[in-house]
Amino acid sequence: MGALARLHSLVRGLFRRSDIESEMREEFEHHIELRAADLEREGLSPEEARRRAHREFGHAEGHREAARASRGLRIFDELRFSWVDVKLGIRMLCKNPGLTLAAVFALAVGIPVGMLPIHFESVLTRPLPEDDGDRIRAIHYWSTERNVTEWPTRYELDRWEEELAGFERIGAVRPEQYALADDAGGAPPFWGAQATASTFDILGTPPLLGRTLNRADESPGAPDVAVMGYDLWQSRFGGDPDIVGRTIRLRGTAHTVIGVMPQGFYFPRNEHLWIPLRAELLTEPGQGPAIQLFGRLAPGVSPRSAQAEVSAAGQRLAREFPESNQRLNAEVLPWGLAAWGMPAGGLRAMPGMFIVYLLCFVLLLVACANVAMLIFARSATRFRELAIRSALGAGRLRIVSQMFVESLVLAVGSAALGLIGLSWALRRLQGWILQQDQADATYWVDLGITADAVGWALLFALISAVVVSVGPALKVTGRRIQENIQRAGAGRSGIRFGGITGALIVADVAIVVTAVGFGIGLWDRVRDSGRDTAQVGIEADEFLRTALTLPVDNSGPVPGVDAFDTEIESAAFAARVGEIQRTLVERLEAEPWVRGVGVASELPRMGHQSARVEVEGETAFQDLDFLETLGRWPAVVQADIGYFDGLEQPILAGRGFNEADLEGEISTVIVNTTFVERTLGGRNPLGRRIRFPDLAGGSGTPDGRLSPTLGQVSAGTDPRWLEIVGVVGRLGTNVGLPEYDMAAYLPAAPGDIYPVALAIHVAGGEPESFAPRIRELVSEVAPAAVLAQPIRLDRVFPGNYMLFLVTTSGLAALVLILMAMATSGLYAILSFAVSERTREIAIRTALGASSASIVGRIANRSLGQVAFGAVLGMPLAGWLFQLAESGADSTGVSFGVAVATGIGVVVLIGVASGLSPIRRALGIRPIEALRSVE
Amino acid sequence: MTDQADLLPGTLDLLVLKSVSLGKLHGYGVLLRIEQISGGALQIQQGALYPALYRLEHQGLIESEWGLSDNNRRAKYYSLTKAGRRRLGEETLGWNRLADAIALALSARPQEA
Repeated sequence: MGALARLHSLVRGLFRRSDIESEMREEFEHHIELRAADLEREGLSPEEARRRAHREFGHAEGHREAARASRGLRIFDELRFSWVDVKLGIRMLCKNPGLTLAAVFALAVGIPVGMLPIHFESVLTRPLPEDDGDRIRAIHYWSTERNVTEWPTRYELDRWEEELAGFERIGAVRPEQYALADDAGGAPPFWGAQATASTFDILGTPPLLGRTLNRADESPGAPDVAVMGYDLWQSRFGGDPDIVGRTIRLRGTAHTVIGVMPQGFYFPRNEHLWIPLRAELLTEPGQGPAIQLFGRLAPGVSPRSAQAEVSAAGQRLAREFPESNQRLNAEVLPWGLAAWGMPAGGLRAMPGMFIVYLLCFVLLLVACANVAMLIFARSATRFRELAIRSALGAGRLRIVSQMFVESLVLAVGSAALGLIGLSWALRRLQGWILQQDQADATYWVDLGITADAVGWALLFALISAVVVSVGPALKVTGRRIQENIQRAGAGRSGIRFGGITGALIVADVAIVVTAVGFGIGLWDRVRDSGRDTAQVGIEADEFLRTALTLPVDNSGPVPGVDAFDTEIESAAFAARVGEIQRTLVERLEAEPWVRGVGVASELPRMGHQSARVEVEGETAFQDLDFLETLGRWPAVVQADIGYFDGLEQPILAGRGFNEADLEGEISTVIVNTTFVERTLGGRNPLGRRIRFPDLAGGSGTPDGRLSPTLGQVSAGTDPRWLEIVGVVGRLGTNVGLPEYDMAAYLPAAPGDIYPVALAIHVAGGEPESFAPRIRELVSEVAPAAVLAQPIRLDRVFPGNYMLFLVTTSGLAALVLILMAMATSGLYAILSFAVSERTREIAIRTALGASSASIVGRIANRSLGQVAFGAVLGMPLAGWLFQLAESGADSTGVSFGVAVATGIGVVVLIGVASGLSPIRRALGIRPIEALRSVE
Repeated sequence: MTDQADLLPGTLDLLVLKSVSLGKLHGYGVLLRIEQISGGALQIQQGALYPALYRLEHQGLIESEWGLSDNNRRAKYYSLTKAGRRRLGEETLGWNRLADAIALALSARPQEA
């Protein structure tokens, strides 16, 4: 009963505060009136009676507070904060702009960085934009052996469609490229997909015109039909309302257009045409091409129970077909994760990614710890104010909660700033990705900040506010009031920076030194690998890189032409491209300033696509251990037969390509020296045979941009064996990891390589000054062609080089941020030490102490901590430096330089943080200081 | 002034319970009743009465309701709850025992020691 009454009274006190307040006021007023009336009856005048009644009643506000305390509400009163607290917080922050800037900077970086991995994960696990999109889930295999996604085949589709009750429908798509011709004789290809009829039911998007695919369309003998995307319909057929029923030719067969999908439908990624995925009778998994499987969860079925069912189905298959399926986990997961090749557990489940999470979070914690140190130092200088407030009746909790509000204002403000910055950066990143490769644009990815992300940022801000305020506040308010007032009167707080702050400085400096060592190593390595002729194989600063594309046709339907044949049209396109390439190379080579021209799908120093290679007579890929498999992923480059001559690359063994290599189907390949070492174990490569089983759209397809050459090489289930006929040196196919710079060059006829990537070797002078001349030549050869800005090859930063560049700049930014934090933390402590010891310094100066001894007294401890941090960080920095440098056979920055830089950084931190407080200490005049303290 | 005794700590609650047990009272009424039943010997600092009232209400020993006072104004009236009555009984017993014991102790003579 008692407990119930207490609870009721507490709840009422908390939630009906204003009611209770007004009741109390009314009750007090009534009391005073009655008392005044009694006093009047005793003979006092009305005014006198009222005055006396008030006096006798005492301090109403005090009684009210006591009354609230007697209801057990005091603790809530102290924790409660109002708009006034927020305003006070803002005022305090404005009063110390230097400190506020340092803290805002640290948190505005720390909070977004801390939440970044979570944000990326939420981007990828976001439901598809289709109706009820969160019930659409991918079903894939995660290879526990190779840590990659492996898509199932038609066999699983048919079997699981019957077995899995947790899914309403199961569907599959297989993206591939198509091309339609235009007036000019050819146009770039676009993406489409083979799709099951169920695809459209699962996605639930009705067609804009006509119908979508149905089950009957999938049967092997059914008429060939196609569903067109809105953009394609608009750009190629001018939005022709009578498109349904017209015939187009794809892969040599007439297809009837049966429908058009509405704008915004691009499933699975960026597709514009869908043809039926034909039913095939397969007897075991692994046969036939890989297809991307997905389904719509049945009503009432949770993703978790669907996963349990799919796991069981996967295990059955693994028992039946141990050879192919033993190391595969069947998983149900959001479409975004599967499409980005991640396991159901998301980024966190990827090997190594957990470290990224941890690092981001650690940065946030370091930021928080440093801000806490700043706030602590400042609280200590506010000691007198806090002592007076507590003497006036503010409870410890009240002061702590006030300081918490201040920190919360700081953290939320910083988080907002950080989010704005992050949002801007992500938008730039998305724009950049789209610019890099339009074909890789994915309709369901939106990197933008969501409500989720804002929620996370606020949560992190709250955590940060707790971390930075509560510790210092408890420490500052941890003494008895009387003691506080005495100390405040004596002009010092008596607060000491204890072990935690000391440890923080040590850790800060150690992290800075470590990061400096690692950063220098990495930077040196990247610089070398990107620019060293030894790594790249050519003098990159003598080359111009450019690429030629043909405009996308937007001219509408081709009058009078109803039929397109992909094979014929792509051949026509290739012929057109080939003709332009041949003429342009001839014209360029005739120029006096040109030493040579090379055409290849990827040029040295640029990002290369790589693919799994099988070597005849060698251990099968799946039986290799992880490190050995790295050697089986060479870059695959399509090279014009004059490529090596154009780049003046000698053939080190065997022969170069010649016209005979282009006759009939491709059967020869040239490899580089790293390939011989890594992939073939240094054995004689000539005459040996290799093949690329994944190029045709199986798992591990590089990017699906299959030219006719690659199509031939990997056609069907039986990839072609290619004979190694020659060996060349390294040509910068993997500048990030030169020790894994394996490459295989396939001969490509003019027209096979698109876009036409050109490496132009300039005979002298600044290569980029010839850009206008190249434009002139191109406009003569192919007026409609689009030429990418010619750039000196050593100034191109694509692919993994870009990644390394981003990593190193990120690391450099991190070092600077950490340095700024360590400096500000140290500055706070030193300047606090000076103001605390003004009196002591004054007395010492008066007694004739030397400047050196005063500096020593103030800075001894802090500088000791800095030195200790540096010593701790050195071995780790050295180890990371060696790690970053390993494999790069450069003569770049030596270990000594890295150590010297580390020491320099530490000295810089010490000087930057100590200069002003020490100058202040030396400037103290004993008489003035002692007088003002008294 | 000399006729008035200081309140011992903890006794205000007991006095409030006692006065409310004699009938519904508003705050000022409780004050007058205590003065009345103590024969004017106990005087309470007026405002200090209210924290005690709220504390007892919070503990569920008394309850309150709004009604009209003699001067026709809205006033809050307090009355004893069952728990309050029980507590009053216990406290009275405890107090009497203590008072007897102290009286006995104080009446001791040298030869009894």
